[in-house]
Amino acid sequence: MLINKENITSIIPQRAPFVMIDSLLTADESGFKTEFKIVPDNLFLENAILSESALIENIAQTCAAGFGYLNSLEEDGEPKLGFIGAVTQVQVEKTAKQDDLIETSVQILSTFDTIHLVEGVAKSNGHVLLTCQMKIVLA
Amino acid sequence: MKREDIILTTKQFLSEEFEVDSALILPDNNLQQTLDLDSLDYVDLVVVIEENLGIKPTADDFKTIETFNDFYDLVEQRLNA
Repeated sequence: MLINKENITSIIPQRAPFVMIDSLLTADESGFKTEFKIVPDNLFLENAILSESALIENIAQTCAAGFGYLNSLEEDGEPKLGFIGAVTQVQVEKTAKQDDLIETSVQILSTFDTIHLVEGVAKSNGHVLLTCQMKIVLA
Repeated sequence: MKREDIILTTKQFLSEEFEVDSALILPDNNLQQTLDLDSLDYVDLVVVIEENLGIKPTADDFKTIETFNDFYDLVEQRLNA
């Protein structure tokens, strides 16, 4: 594990109750992995089912954590602003529920200048919950 | 790959990816305007170029590309390097 739950907000801009990742497991130039436990007071739970938009947010925050971590390793280490330019090819396979552990992986498919095309996959218990592509712009 | 093949292949994948009539992909036409590219589209463009032609243009490369002819020159140059 690279960053644990206690320190995750040091590399992402989101703050409670909108933090949708617990820990950053891996991060390198090819992609990132995070984990997230769905606790009972999660804002996006309805009847103990997590909304799909929360999974998209989880993938976006996985990107933020990964890029934020890699950025922190650079010499100047100055935080960069990140924007979601597009979310495409969203496929919902299964819903997540309270107490599930979400394992999210993001693969960087291509980079052009400051724009990164990534593919995110959120899984729980080995089952794919949601996949999508995002264009992340780092300023 | 011969230039004619580069042109043929390029017309095919660009018209499919960007939903543009391949008849509009003419050598002297402006690439950005013809494909109606915004800055975010360039990452998609690079992906399809890499998939179909096996080269990966950089942001600096696109600074010198105005027309499709410029693009074909770049591809020819990279493939024959």
